Amino acid sequence: MITHHLALLKREVWEHRSIWMTPIAIASIVTLGTLTALMFAGDYAHELDMALFGAQNIANDTGRRAVLSGLFFGSSGLFFLALGILTIFYSLDALYAERKDKSILFWRSLPVTDSETVISKLLTAVLVIPTAMIIGIIATHLVNLLVTSIWVSLKGGDASLLIWSSVPIIDNWLSAVVIVYSGAIWMSPFVGWFLFVSAYTKRSPFMMGFLPLVLVPMFEGIFLHSNEFASVVWGRMGKIPISRLDIESMIENDNFEMSEEMISVLSHLDIGYFLASPSMWAGVIVCGLLCFGAIYVRRYRDES
Amino acid sequence: MTSLVSAEGVSKRYGSFTAVSNVSFEIESGKILGLIGPNGAGKTTLLKALLGLTDCEGSLSVMGLDPFKQRKELMRNICFIADVAVLPRWIKVTQLLDYVAAVHPNFSRRRADELLKQTKIQSSSKVKELSKGMVTQLHLSIIMSIDAKLLVLDEPTLGLDIIFRKEFYANLLNDYFDEERTILVTTHQVEEIENLLTDVMFIDDGRILLDSPMESLADTYVELAASGDKAEKARGLGPIAENQMFGKSVMLFEGLSREHFAGLGEMRTPSVADLFVAKVKRARQ
Repeated sequence: MITHHLALLKREVWEHRSIWMTPIAIASIVTLGTLTALMFAGDYAHELDMALFGAQNIANDTGRRAVLSGLFFGSSGLFFLALGILTIFYSLDALYAERKDKSILFWRSLPVTDSETVISKLLTAVLVIPTAMIIGIIATHLVNLLVTSIWVSLKGGDASLLIWSSVPIIDNWLSAVVIVYSGAIWMSPFVGWFLFVSAYTKRSPFMMGFLPLVLVPMFEGIFLHSNEFASVVWGRMGKIPISRLDIESMIENDNFEMSEEMISVLSHLDIGYFLASPSMWAGVIVCGLLCFGAIYVRRYRDES
Repeated sequence: MTSLVSAEGVSKRYGSFTAVSNVSFEIESGKILGLIGPNGAGKTTLLKALLGLTDCEGSLSVMGLDPFKQRKELMRNICFIADVAVLPRWIKVTQLLDYVAAVHPNFSRRRADELLKQTKIQSSSKVKELSKGMVTQLHLSIIMSIDAKLLVLDEPTLGLDIIFRKEFYANLLNDYFDEERTILVTTHQVEEIENLLTDVMFIDDGRILLDSPMESLADTYVELAASGDKAEKARGLGPIAENQMFGKSVMLFEGLSREHFAGLGEMRTPSVADLFVAKVKRARQ
């Protein structure tokens, strides 16, 4: 039974090679970027020696940790962005490609229900692709930690102090895990919508997926003079209810000082708060309904 | 003999168009049934209903299951190749076999590997790298490795050359077919499969025009080639079709025993193709 369902997920990874190629590509770009930066840094040898000396002897632990933590979390940001884009393209293609290349009747000639198929595509979008990104994040961090610590050691710096003990790496990874999966659940109504469109549309799923998201708020503004749809749908982007940290007031506050406990990204994430969010659950329900719609369309539409 | 498929008053409408109109038939297990009809006759719609790919009115049971409601259970015991059910182009042969092995409880990976060894198909190839003939070979190898009770072939050899088509049916008969299994096949090239069939069914305009075992065709239908007065006399017996060929009248009779035509000319059992044309023309008059 488990092999049966795993096979459905494997098939998605075989078909959509971008699921594993994208994290590899980003990891390579980040690593190349680091290497290039380190290579060109040789021109500023004097300044660097000073900086290393300063970092080792003057800067306090907190300062070092804050800077490095920020840098590493920043590289995770690239993966978050790619995750969003990849998920959109995957979901729009998932139930459309099989109809376009006419392989749907072959897939349906096997003892697999339409529900199983659609659910496997949903799971690929909210579980498999995020997991691939997390593996990408961790691999990128490890490679870059290694590269920088070799470089720091060659420069005569203390890599274990400057790099390894200065990056709260486990904290960073766990936060990435929490953000990636909670983000996937938070954005799941979009996944549901795109899956539905890919099951339903006869042509250009990308346009059919986004056109209503643009037109509906426009008409609502013109005819109803309100912007409920836009605030619910577009307002959802990037606002995962998982952190109570008020970043805006932090930026506005001139006297703001980074304290040790603020460096931990994980400590700002509140899973309980996320799980108690009515808007998160509403999204999950909408996703479920749209997937149900996709199953219905795949099952009842005649492909002739 | 048990009924594998049982249809009672099955109809399928698309809006105001009736694709299949109130058909009833039985298919017994161990048969090779040819379903023959012109384009748009309702063949594919009927097959889709049998395969649970579309719903229909009336009562339809395949191996005791409701095809539309119990498609997953049904697909464990039915296989089909349709010219429209193409293999995905992006997949590798080995991935395809892995996938089918994982989802199909009646699939034998070993058998598929053996069958593929007899072909030129490389397991590392992608489907898009194979020729059309090889893709059909691959599909057939998969199907023949599934222990299914009913095999449905909808124009399986469309677009293939004659050598390949002959090989396709030879493989099917020699390596696959036995008394436990039933094959339902549709094709435009009736002449090529005529000798394989145990039963034949004609369909036109959503209706069944003929449903008969092949062996009883000879008892029911006679083709007579006659000329002159003899032809005139034969015409009096009410042929269902008549053609002129080499200066003779070739007439087709239904339901008359051969004694009626003694001394009138040459008699033979009509080919399925000729019989089909005669039945369709008559039904459309």
